[in-house]
Amino acid sequence: MKKRFLTKIVSGISAVVLATGALTGCGSSDSSTTTANNADEQVSESVDTTENTDTAEETSANYRTLDEIKESGVINIGVFSDKSPFGYVDENGDYQGYDVYLAERIGEDLGVEINYVSTEAASRIEYLQTGKVDIILANFTVTEERAEEVDFALPYMNVALGVISHDDNVVTSLDDLTEDDEIIVISGTTAETYLEKEYPDIKLQKYDAYAEAKTAFENRNGIAWANDNTEVIAFSIENEGYEVGIPSLGSADTIAPAVTKGNETLLDWLNEELVSLGNENFFHADYEATLLETYGSEYEDTLVIENTELP
Amino acid sequence: MQLMGIELLLKGNNFLRMLSGLWVAVRISLVSVILSIGLGLIVGALMTVQNKVIKTVMRLYLEIVRIMPQMVLLFIVYFGTTRVFGINIEAELSAIIVFTFWGTAEMGDLVRGALISIPRHQYESAEALGLSKLQTYLYVILPQTLRRLIPLSINLITRMIKTTSLVMMIGIVEVLKVTQQIIEANRRTSPNAAFGMFATVFMMYFIVCWPISLLSKHLEKRWSDR
Amino acid sequence: MNWNVIREYLPLYIEALGLTVKIGWLGIILSIALGLVCALILYFKVPLLQVIIKIYIELFRNTPLLVQLFFLYFGLPKLGIRITAQTCGILGLTLIGGSYMTETFRSGLSAIDSIQSESALSLGMKKHQVFFYVILPQAISISIPGFMANIIFLLKETSVFSAISLMDLMFTAKDLIGLEYKTIEALFLLVVFYLIMLLPVSLLGTYIERRVRYAAYGD
Repeated sequence: MKKRFLTKIVSGISAVVLATGALTGCGSSDSSTTTANNADEQVSESVDTTENTDTAEETSANYRTLDEIKESGVINIGVFSDKSPFGYVDENGDYQGYDVYLAERIGEDLGVEINYVSTEAASRIEYLQTGKVDIILANFTVTEERAEEVDFALPYMNVALGVISHDDNVVTSLDDLTEDDEIIVISGTTAETYLEKEYPDIKLQKYDAYAEAKTAFENRNGIAWANDNTEVIAFSIENEGYEVGIPSLGSADTIAPAVTKGNETLLDWLNEELVSLGNENFFHADYEATLLETYGSEYEDTLVIENTELP
Repeated sequence: MQLMGIELLLKGNNFLRMLSGLWVAVRISLVSVILSIGLGLIVGALMTVQNKVIKTVMRLYLEIVRIMPQMVLLFIVYFGTTRVFGINIEAELSAIIVFTFWGTAEMGDLVRGALISIPRHQYESAEALGLSKLQTYLYVILPQTLRRLIPLSINLITRMIKTTSLVMMIGIVEVLKVTQQIIEANRRTSPNAAFGMFATVFMMYFIVCWPISLLSKHLEKRWSDR
Repeated sequence: MNWNVIREYLPLYIEALGLTVKIGWLGIILSIALGLVCALILYFKVPLLQVIIKIYIELFRNTPLLVQLFFLYFGLPKLGIRITAQTCGILGLTLIGGSYMTETFRSGLSAIDSIQSESALSLGMKKHQVFFYVILPQAISISIPGFMANIIFLLKETSVFSAISLMDLMFTAKDLIGLEYKTIEALFLLVVFYLIMLLPVSLLGTYIERRVRYAAYGD
């Protein structure tokens, strides 16, 4: 009896080793034909890339060129579906918002249909790198770290970070927080990165989706919510009982469309498009159509960026 | 305000959108169950084979399915495969692959159990009648095991439908995500919608799964009596 | 695969494992307790309570944990009932686990032949003695494989806690993918840590199942 149990453990442990290899190696695809192909591919790949393993990820082209997109007649654009008024879905199931307004125009000028892909903040880079979308238009702040992973086009909006709290307990400085105070952030946003780096002692409560974070904030699961200041200002205007105690935090940044690293044809087209849109003051029109109701006209010139020349 | 969000169901296409979100979940599980039954019959037969290599592979497969949370498998297939092989698998297809991978193991194990419970003399009589191994499996053994498998596979459908709530995490817009979108779009006018809306989703899942699990229980009882 | 990244991430995963194990096992212990109580109420057919418990079991066995958690965590505070993410995780796991444990334990109880209680009564044992010394021990031992299966199921279910901001293993992996884009390393560690947490339980389960089967065949 004992001996059998022992052999079981030993075989179990070897199973773990094998299983980990199998899982991470072949992604547990269960169809036998594809695993066979994959195995071949993997072998040839590892032979090819023995010299420069670092570039292996970048050389595998996980994107569609401008021509391929036009040919297929459909462009996949990653947007938020729960971040009003920038990207959300109305009661008829249609995507709306400042980012979507731009997406609609891009589709029109390319002459293709748009397939909206609902994204969360943390999956934006992943979606581009794995070719699941052609463009991300999800309020994507340009940062150095991100620029190493994806290619940003010209910016179309200004942004900084902001912190909002309930108006009966306003946080005006991040240095005043007690040990138990938790700040709500959304996973994969610049607010998360900034707070992790600059205030490592502050406890963060992280959510995947905007809708979840906002509901948790309303429910007072955290003392404050840190995000793009555009977003928290909009929240304080749209909902009663909240105050933006810290309207600007961190550096002034910009928001831009992003494409998969190396997708030059699409990037060049986007930049030209953004310049020609800048010449017709498109983003002022966008602001007036989607953001005016929330922000009023006072933020129009500080938020909007119109590009007049190529980088 | 008083209705805690229930009123949003009547606004625009909201309720229809939630239903079609639920249908996405049901569709994924139905396709996966059908594939699992087919593949499970093969895998189950393989599990009874007395070959060391096949045996080890099957054990390993079963053990992986037994321990790995479906969510982990979803992430590996959806995000991992592209990274390792450069193949882009769509979200819904990833979900079907993972659910079939899981369902096949469960069905296979059930088929194996059913197969070894069939008395030896049946195989021998079939052989004596001149039936080949495949014929014996298809015409003699399989029909007898099917009756035992049907209630269990119906049960598997409900478990799969419940597990489909996870696909929201890999970006599939199903009922939970639609619900969040509705809560978000109406935050200003219905700040308490989270209560009513999530309660609605809870009941929707219940209304779909409860009859199916009753049916499975009923069939199991009825067919085990004979 | 970059081993430096793995080394850097390791402490984060160990911390997450701690939280997952803590919440997971607390939830499991409470589910067993809840399951026992509910099964006893059903066994003794306590009026009213048994109806409530039947409804509870059907509701929680036929809905996903993720939806239950969303309702408890995001919905209930709208009625003024606010709970922290950890409490919500433990509560959710206990509620779904309790419904599964009740079912397992109830079928264990009903598997004991009524002849046994009749013979025990005829030997002059009191009713409660029959239950506690004859029925209950056998029912528990019959239910153990079912309990083990439920425990593995519940430990796996903890992977949805990430949705309510609990920093469990799944959350750590997702967060690292989103923050540092090291998908392969993050997923690799995720798999390894789930194996560390679940493989021993799974092996123990198979072992116990075999023991119980021997015991059943022994008589």
